[in-house]
Amino acid sequence: MNAENLAYTAVQVVHNFGAAAVVGGAVFARWPTAQDPVVQRWLAWLVLAGWVAQAASGSLFGAVSVHYYGQFPDIHGIAVAALGIKIAAAVVGVAVAAAFLRLSARWGDTARRRAWAALTGAGVVALTAAAFLRWFS
Amino acid sequence: MRTLSAVLLICASLDAAEALAAEPFVRITQPANGAQLDAMDQNRLVYEVDPGPRGDHVHVYVDDREVGILRQLKGSYTLETLAPGERRICIRVVNKAHTPIGVQDCVTARVE
Repeated sequence: MNAENLAYTAVQVVHNFGAAAVVGGAVFARWPTAQDPVVQRWLAWLVLAGWVAQAASGSLFGAVSVHYYGQFPDIHGIAVAALGIKIAAAVVGVAVAAAFLRLSARWGDTARRRAWAALTGAGVVALTAAAFLRWFS
Repeated sequence: MRTLSAVLLICASLDAAEALAAEPFVRITQPANGAQLDAMDQNRLVYEVDPGPRGDHVHVYVDDREVGILRQLKGSYTLETLAPGERRICIRVVNKAHTPIGVQDCVTARVE
């Protein structure tokens, strides 16, 4: 077990739990039944934390590569597009979760439902793009 | 404390085993360095790789532009149509994160 593998593993653990939080938190807010506003607020914090963890750990993958090999991962084409989609999804996720925490007290049920749908969509898109990023380069 | 010592000992043993492992390499056996290739042919790149403990798979490059990913350690890859001129064809070992680990082989071929 060398330090390099341990570093990648630690980053991957954060990334995986972030992924679970952004999708799981958003889905659980509305399914199998809509949670009450207090629980939805806690879930919004969880989802926001998940997106921040996703963004930070995603950056750390690059940082570990630079630390050990002096360069970022060598990706092109489909993988670059997938990375761009993941970054866009993270921006949407952070923005919507933050807006939910700041404004949802004034929102009706329709607006809340749309916010959770947007967060679920962003999570699903990011996880799908992650598979392309992993297996293409 | 005893558990921590055991874990550190296991880590040190694994590092030592890794250090003793064979050196990673990439060998392009075809085309030969300096070969002349026909631009109209489907040219094959024949290779053999030992990625070592840090490597995972390899990327193929033509003139520093990535053209393929290979996960087999020995085999061949059909190069897409090559533009006429001098072409530098490289295979680089990368880790699971697609980061080149500094092990590569390159050949230069004249495409006509």
